[in-house]
Amino acid sequence: MNDDFKRVLLEACVLVAFGALFGLTINHQLVLDAFAGRLVSQRPVVDAEQELQQEAPLALPMPVLLEEVRQLVADGGLIVDARNPELFAAGHIEGAVSLPLADIDDVLSDFISRIDKDRVIVTYCSGFGCPDSFDLGMRLIEEGYNDVRVFEGGYPEWRDAGFAVAGEDQ
Amino acid sequence: MNRFQWFFYHLSRLFLALVFVYAGAVKIQDVIAFAGHVAAYQILPYAMNDLVAAILPYVEFLAGVLLFLNVRVRPSLVVVGGMTLVFMAALVSVLLRGLDIDCGCFDPAGGQDVSAGMALLRDVGLMVLVVLTWVLRNRLTAGSAKREARDEETF
Repeated sequence: MNDDFKRVLLEACVLVAFGALFGLTINHQLVLDAFAGRLVSQRPVVDAEQELQQEAPLALPMPVLLEEVRQLVADGGLIVDARNPELFAAGHIEGAVSLPLADIDDVLSDFISRIDKDRVIVTYCSGFGCPDSFDLGMRLIEEGYNDVRVFEGGYPEWRDAGFAVAGEDQ
Repeated sequence: MNRFQWFFYHLSRLFLALVFVYAGAVKIQDVIAFAGHVAAYQILPYAMNDLVAAILPYVEFLAGVLLFLNVRVRPSLVVVGGMTLVFMAALVSVLLRGLDIDCGCFDPAGGQDVSAGMALLRDVGLMVLVVLTWVLRNRLTAGSAKREARDEETF
């Protein structure tokens, strides 16, 4: 290797050193955090992202299966129908109370005043592919209900299994 | 050194300069997002991703600026070429492991998804330009040295 190329390499190293110096001067906090093992999400990242994480509830409604719903009801759980009042009137799981997600802001305060926060809640709607039961479950968790489950099979699975239903069409 | 060589030397030098100034500048805007892209390669241990993300964009930017200014061109070419080789090695490892990640070559926040294969192809192109610029630069300086020697003789 001739002297000329050695000098070029040396200058290249100096260039990298300067880059590193700049980078570390500006980002030293990030690197220190990383080496201290603090998570990316705990750093003041993008504000919107962080706010979203803080606003998100800690718990999600747990899905339950048909058989579990019956057990939960037998143990004192409450079934909540997230569908609109017309569908509820036409037919619903026996013993369920109507809490239509579409009108949630009007009906929620009454529901909260009547139902204890520690009672097990099982939400349902029109079966798989219907998001209302999950959304209602999320809302109830936000309101402070401690044990909220979602019966994803919903009214169709319950009815088709031959379990007790109530309503005008029955 | 004929006019063509002179022209292509400056053209490829300026092209490389703009590519690396741009690549460095957009990453400097969002170092944390870039750290995420580096982490997606799953090559370095956790904290090293942030260290690389904290330094690499500045080295890219600095080398690009020097290339643009036509100052310390050969050291800058060594740095740019070295980085490109490292990127290529990383991309090959991504391809071999079958990871489906964005290369993170440029704007870390942008949604332009560039596959590892495309990025590798692009890096090969950059590498060709680096070598071309290096060779033309050597001819240019050799030519001017010869001219200087000739000028000295005439005096």
